[in-house]
Amino acid sequence: MTSSIIELRNVSKTYSTAAGDFTALINVSMDINAGEFLGIIGKSGAGKSTLLNMINGVDQLTSGEVIVHADNEKLSIHNLSEDARALWRGRKMGVVYQSFQLLPMLSLIDNITLPMDLSDNFRVRESKERAMQLLQLMELEEHANKLPAFISGGQQQRVAIARALANDPPILVADEPTGSLDSITADHIFEVFEHLVHEQGKTIVMVTHDVSLVNRFSRSLTIADGELLSDAEPVSKPGKRRKK
Amino acid sequence: MTARQSKPVIDSVQLAESNTQAMIELRSVVKKFSNAAGEFTVLKGVDLTIKSGEFVSIVGKSGSGKSTLLNMVTGIDHPTEGNVVVHGTDIYTGVTESQRSRWRGKNLGIVFQFFQLLPMLTLLENVMLPMDYVDMYDFDERPARAMDLLKLVGLEKFANKLPVLVSTGQQQLAAIARAMACDPPLLVADEPTGNLDSRSADTIIELFQGFVSQGKTIVMVTHDPSLTSRTHRNIIISDGELIDETVSKSLPQLRHRHMLEFTKIVHEKIYQPHATIISRNESVDYFFMIRKGEVDVVLQDKKKKDYVLSRLQAGEFFGEIELLRGGKSIANVRAGEHPVEVLSVPRQEFLRVINESPITADAIGRIVQKRLEEKKIADQRTAGR
Repeated sequence: MTSSIIELRNVSKTYSTAAGDFTALINVSMDINAGEFLGIIGKSGAGKSTLLNMINGVDQLTSGEVIVHADNEKLSIHNLSEDARALWRGRKMGVVYQSFQLLPMLSLIDNITLPMDLSDNFRVRESKERAMQLLQLMELEEHANKLPAFISGGQQQRVAIARALANDPPILVADEPTGSLDSITADHIFEVFEHLVHEQGKTIVMVTHDVSLVNRFSRSLTIADGELLSDAEPVSKPGKRRKK
Repeated sequence: MTARQSKPVIDSVQLAESNTQAMIELRSVVKKFSNAAGEFTVLKGVDLTIKSGEFVSIVGKSGSGKSTLLNMVTGIDHPTEGNVVVHGTDIYTGVTESQRSRWRGKNLGIVFQFFQLLPMLTLLENVMLPMDYVDMYDFDERPARAMDLLKLVGLEKFANKLPVLVSTGQQQLAAIARAMACDPPLLVADEPTGNLDSRSADTIIELFQGFVSQGKTIVMVTHDPSLTSRTHRNIIISDGELIDETVSKSLPQLRHRHMLEFTKIVHEKIYQPHATIISRNESVDYFFMIRKGEVDVVLQDKKKKDYVLSRLQAGEFFGEIELLRGGKSIANVRAGEHPVEVLSVPRQEFLRVINESPITADAIGRIVQKRLEEKKIADQRTAGR
């Protein structure tokens, strides 16, 4: 049984630039289901990062609605104030990016406790313990007291994922999280994501330009020129996909 | 002041004096790493002093040890031997990791190539973070101070945006604002423009120059030669050793390994004002580079009266005409109004290296040509007198 956790209804986003208006998203409607590992695939400039910024409420939409289901309530997140939306995001969403890494002057464990300390969700001792558990999950506990400069890029990205999970959000959104990693390291990140979905019941939305990753997701959508092209249950044969 | 391989004997009086204006002092710093393949020495006894208020760039090939050198200054890594004194604190002697961390928060701003902004915090909150962390400035004062810093880097309009909504150049500017949050006297930057287009890079260098004019000290690792010309000093590291700055300034076209060779064999000599360095018609056996002071190239007119053909400055060289063309000195060369420090390289070593570096030979050849022209014109003029 799938239940929708986030709904996008006719979402459009237009940017005004010096060269005129630019429409990054055109009437996008989609559902994100609880417990799925959803891939959004598109080329550079297709609108996938803009779409992600709509889903997590980071950016304002031009028209349409993003509805989140929380505690038997439906909430239109773009109607919330900036502060209320930040609060909602802090509780419900973890974010992982390609390039936002860790604070270089803090040890790995301190990098992970930071969001917990900022949110006041945990007591100081709890936050240390929880950070250690997350490092164990990422198989990095032996490096807990190292600074980020002394671990590999793939390990840093795993710490960034641990940091995104610090406040135990039900949803994780990731923008090209494997974009700067080699394929073996990227594979390891996927294993972590799969574990989070299957063992912990997290919902993960990931955008990527890499079509070859399509089979790693439980469902994937393709975006091109600001429009969603397909919404098919596991796309096992990419060749069969039809472009509108 | 200058990077040198030889370890000068420094007596305590001198040290105390230099401490008053030195922001960074590395003394005989050695760093070894061990891995499965054995032990590897990344820094081979580095001595370096950077004065307060200097804007210094550090360049070096990949693997030369430049990031390790920076990690010694920031206290991210530990030297195997030697001392590092930053802003008067010997940061590795009797200092615990957490003391060092606190010290760093108050004394050091750090900027990296990839910006390390926290993605879930707005730009303003990112800039406030270091103040919260080391508990500097009153709690109520912090947002206003963070806003002032964002204004300084031209981002006040974006203060409440999340990092993902601004450009990479703007993210780096925010990271710089964050690095300056606790008003540190020293800013250390590792390839701060490496990920940016040239216009954004330009903005950042201008910002750095502004900080320097306010008395901050900046040390920046870069691979971009267009940036090194905009700093006070450029330090080159090659294979874990620092290249003499007079050598790199005098012969910038040399390969780093050749510069390093010269660094190791140069002989340093000080001449008192007006002292003769080379006499006319004397055979020349050395190539000379000027470290400090001015050198006059002097000819005599028909009445045997001296006149100065040209005046050479620090970072220029002489003696090359005779070494390359053979023969005796065509002019007197003597120290100017003040004492002069020169570095000399023996003929054989000079010729061998020049033969291995065609672009340097070319560059020197052009200078030889120019100087001979000058001499010819001067000779004609004196002949006519």
